[in-house]
This record gives sequence, structure tokens and C-alpha cells, in this order.
Amino acid sequence: MLKHLIIFSSVLFIFTNSLFTEEKFLEGVAMTSPAGLPGMRGIPSDIPDISVVGDFYGKVSNDETDIERNKLTIREIELALQGYIYPEMRADVFLAMHKHEDHIEPEICEAKVSFLKLFDNFSAEVGKIHINFGKINKVHQHHRPYVDQPQVITNFFGDHGLVGEGAVLSYLFPLPFFAQIDIGAWRIPAHSHESEESNCENEFGLADEVYSCKLWSSFPTSEKSELELGLSGATGKGSGYTHHKDEAKVTGLDLTYKLWPSAHTRLIFQNEILYLVRNIPTGEIKRSGFYSYLGYRFNKYWSSGLRYDDAEDAFPHADDSGNLSVNVSERTKSASAIVTRDLTETTQLRLQYKYYFEGPKDVSEGYLQITFGIGPHSHLLE
Amino acid sequence: MKKIFIFAQIIGLMSLCWISQPAAVSAKEIFVVTTTEDLADLTKAVGGDKVKVASLSYGYQDPHLVEPRPSMVVQLKKADMLVKIGMDLDIWVDSLIQASRNSNIVYGAKGYVDASVGILRLEVPEGKIDASMGDIHIYGNPHYWLDPENAKPITKNILDGLAKISPENTEYFKNNRDKYLEKLDRAIERWNEKMKSYKGTKIVTYHKSWSYFARHFDLEVIATVEPKPGIPPSPAHLNSLINLMKKEKPVMILHEIFYPEKTSEMVAKQTQTKLVILPTSVGGVKEVKDYLSLFDYIIDRITSQGGE
Repeated sequence: MLKHLIIFSSVLFIFTNSLFTEEKFLEGVAMTSPAGLPGMRGIPSDIPDISVVGDFYGKVSNDETDIERNKLTIREIELALQGYIYPEMRADVFLAMHKHEDHIEPEICEAKVSFLKLFDNFSAEVGKIHINFGKINKVHQHHRPYVDQPQVITNFFGDHGLVGEGAVLSYLFPLPFFAQIDIGAWRIPAHSHESEESNCENEFGLADEVYSCKLWSSFPTSEKSELELGLSGATGKGSGYTHHKDEAKVTGLDLTYKLWPSAHTRLIFQNEILYLVRNIPTGEIKRSGFYSYLGYRFNKYWSSGLRYDDAEDAFPHADDSGNLSVNVSERTKSASAIVTRDLTETTQLRLQYKYYFEGPKDVSEGYLQITFGIGPHSHLLE
Repeated sequence: MKKIFIFAQIIGLMSLCWISQPAAVSAKEIFVVTTTEDLADLTKAVGGDKVKVASLSYGYQDPHLVEPRPSMVVQLKKADMLVKIGMDLDIWVDSLIQASRNSNIVYGAKGYVDASVGILRLEVPEGKIDASMGDIHIYGNPHYWLDPENAKPITKNILDGLAKISPENTEYFKNNRDKYLEKLDRAIERWNEKMKSYKGTKIVTYHKSWSYFARHFDLEVIATVEPKPGIPPSPAHLNSLINLMKKEKPVMILHEIFYPEKTSEMVAKQTQTKLVILPTSVGGVKEVKDYLSLFDYIIDRITSQGGE
């Protein structure tokens, strides 16, 4: 099966060019047209931007306990409706159909109203939002440069990352360089412990009343490079707090360096380190984790990357004497190699190989991802 | 300890705000941000010493694929006016405008200038448009600044924008524009003369960047190396392109500096056609320092390298 999937992916990659083979040159375009009304962007219309983004995903693994193993499935279909609702106010609604184990669930992925300018240098967002914590949490899965989520994000915020319903106030500092602070207050539902499908025994995240803060800045280091720095914090209860009676704080530091050596090439070096302090009735769990990603875009169509993950989980474990201890953690270490073929800005084919050094040890995974976009789809500066 | 560190960092940044207000632009200067260096040069020509101009992108970049950078937000935050190419070429600036929280430059504000207004647009698609046509621009081919005559509507749009922001200087801007257009008209005459012998010449281009240029100088673009805009050439397409070129015998292939040259080189070699690698914008190569020298450079290259 593994062999078949690898052969299939390779064939798909090779035939990418053939998909677009055309013998004829572009037809069906008018030669000239008078310009539209002054300042008008196209044909008058009050239809919002409508787009669909699909994320198909296949996985092979030598871990026989992995229920996603040797399957090619729809991970997510996202329908986006975006547009202005008032001068300097816009609404963005992202409805998603997610794959959860063997069934597909509808979900409001994000739905927010953005006040682009409240008063001088302030803006705000209200609704269900991917919280601006660190560098990658806010970025939707189909926009990330890898198939899976960095382990530390999964271990500290859960499979879907840190997503809450609430509001965030942002302030752009009037400085000669980019510096912004985002302060948010959120409500995130706890995992239902009674539910049969509950994953709260092995998934941790923040829940109940959650407060977040991110201070981020960016410095152009040359005409062709930029350094971004971010410091994030979030506090709330644990996602299983009704059962575990826990409270948690997560702090994070991120550093991203981008270099554009030529028109289509780009080097990106991105790092995030997170630190979790979780208070449970029996003590204090302190955990940390990080990922480091190095990516290079060779040209307009091909890019590759390497990612290293090292993250502790958020749970207590049995010590040598068999007693549950807050000081014992399970650590996951893995390395990934990623190759991406960009067809358009929203349509990509991606292959990823991941090897676990620790927790689970010596497990190899291969991923194939096909993401596609139909229609105008946009996100705010991330 | 951590809380103190965070608190100290916030206080530090806020203190910096008080002591280092962005004061690079003097009170009388209008700060204009443009999306390309071509627009920056034309804005300088109209605005003269009343404006300070910054371009968000560089001439050696592919204007379709400029990556928004947080540092661009700082420029836009300070801007009194934004001049963009429009027609969805520089659509990347939209998220930056939103992040800048600057109501002077949002769509419809007096500091928002779409330079494409009044341009006679080429290759406007009709009927249903989708990605099967490649990275097609729904409002037509956006590379209109490569027809030097289009500097006239572009500078008109810039003039209108500046006049709204600083009505007391309208005459000054108008005079600057008139003087610039006189210079431009003389240059156009010179360029037309140099390109006279190329009228009706068949050419191939890599991307559809040269449609406006070709229309102005009466060149006939018979094909593109890309099968469709933004789509890399497949072997089958290249085969049919080579056959077409052998039959039609175009004089040259015009290739933009930011696209990989390998394919065009191969096609040129197989068809014994001249390959002319050209900048499409000011700053694309170090010799091209302004809009007029962009055409000087392009036409020199075509006439010296393109052959008869």
C-alpha cells in the first residue's frame, strides 16, 4: 500500500505539467475594452468574495496502530464568504467540513467582524477567530508550508490549535519599524468528558475564559530580508477542566527570518518555542516544546523545507515507581522533509516524509496533500 | 520574572513611541507610497519637491508575486496617498492597506489612486473566467505601463490624487506634469523612429507582459512561451511553439528578467531566434533609473540584439 501511494504521488507530480498541456494559445479574450467607471474595480456587484478551499490528505505509516494509516481522505473543505459590511469594517466567514476520524463534521472555522480602524492605530476583531498566538496558530492549515501541525501546537493547544470566541484589540505602535500588540479575551468550550467521542484523555488545550496577548515586531534587515519577532502569552483553564480542575498558562517566543535572493526564490527560517505551566490539584506541570522550520523556494513552482519538532506532552505520567508524577513527561521528537509544487497561490501538491526519533520511536510517516482553491480567498496579514 | 520581562518590553516599546515618532516626512511634504518603482518615478515627476515617494516593490521583482511584509505596513501607515497599478496585479497590497489602519488610502478615499483608470485595456476576458485559463486577470492585461503613451493617463490619475490632497498646489503639479509630458512626447518620437523598421515584426514573449508595448510599436506577438498566463510550459506546448516559430519565423523572443531563462534559451536555440532579456520596470537593472530610461534601455536592447 505504501509503495502504491508513493508511486501514485510521484506519477501525480510528474504529470503536473501535462495537466496543463495545451496546443492552442489563449482564445476567447477581447482585444480591447474601454476602462470602467473612474476608480471602479470591475463590474458593479454586491456579491461578497466567495471561495472554496479543499484539503485532501493521504497518509502512510509503519505504525499499525495509526487509524489514519494508508488512507486518502478529505481533511477539510472550507467555504469562505468575505467582504466589506461598512466603511473600514469587513466580515469574513469560513465554514468548514472537517474530517474527524471516520466522519465529517460541519464547523464554523472562523467567523469574524473586523473593525479595521477603531481610532488612531487601534483595530479590533470580534467573533470566532484563530487566536494570534505565535507564528503558525493563526495560519489556516491549507496555508501552512507543511501537511501536519507542529507537535508543540498540537500538544499545548489541541488538533485545531488555539481557536476562541471573543474579541481582540490590536494597537499598531507609531514606531519607525513594525510593532503591534494584540490583546484578546475569549471563551473556548471545554471537552465534554461524558462524550464517547471525547478526546480529552489525550488532547490538551486551553478552555473556558482565555486571555491572550501577542507583541510582534518586524525589522527589514536589508532590501531583500526581514526579521520578525514575537512574544505571546495565553492563560485559561485546561480543556478538560471540569474533570481535571486545572489552570494553565502558555508563553511563546517566535523568530522568523525571510530572505528573498531573487524575484522567485525565498529562504525562510522560522522558529517557535512554547512553555506551558499547568496547575492541577496534585501539583504543577511544566512543559516546553519547539519547532524549527527551514524552507527554500527554488522558483515560482517548487519549494522544499525541513522541520524539526521537539515537544513534551501536557500530562503527568507514571515515574519509575509507578506513581503518577507531574515531573514525568512524554517527549516527541521528529524530523520532516517537505516538497511542494505550487500550481497557483491556493492550489498545491505536497509530499512530506516524517521520521519520529522518540515517542513513538522509529515510526516513519509519508503524507500527500492536495489543496485547491476556487475563487478569491484572502487573509489579513499573518 | 517572565511577567516583568513582558511588562518591561511593552513599556520599552511605548517609550520608544514617544521619543521616536516617524518624522522623516516634513510637514509640507506629501508622502506617497506606490506599489511599483514605475509609479514612484511618475509620481516624483508630477509631485516634484512637494512629495516624498516610496515604492513597496523593486523593479527586479515579479509584480504579480510581491510578498507582503510587515515593514510595508509602516510605510502605508504614514502615507497620504497610495498609487497602485490596479487591475488586480498588485492585489497583494490590499491586506497591507487593511493592516495599516490608514483611512487616507482605503478604496474610495481621496488618497487612493488606481493608476489604471482611463487606460484602454487589452485582453479583457469575456464570458466565464476560471483557472483553466491560467492566472488570468479578470480586468484585462495589467502591464499597461509598458506602452509609453499610457504614462499620460497614469500621470493624470496621479495629478488628480495630488490635487485632492493638496489643492493649493494643483497648478504646480499640473505644470510639472505638462513639462514631463513634453519630455515624454519627444522621447516617444525618438523611440518610434528607432522602432520604425520593426513595424509588423513577429515576436514571441515569455509572459504576456509585452502586449501594450507591442501594440504601441506595432509588433505582432505570435505566441508566448507560457502556454497560458502563469502556467509553466509543458514539453507538448514547447514542441508546438517551436513548430509554429519555425513556420512563422519571429525575429526575437522577449523575455522578462525575473523569469527563468532556460526554456526561452532552448526555444531560441532550436529556432535560431534572438533572445532579448529585458526589465519590465524601473530598477529592473541598474541602468534603468527612471521611466524614460526604461524605454531607452528596452529599445536599445531590441535594436542592438534583436536584429532585423
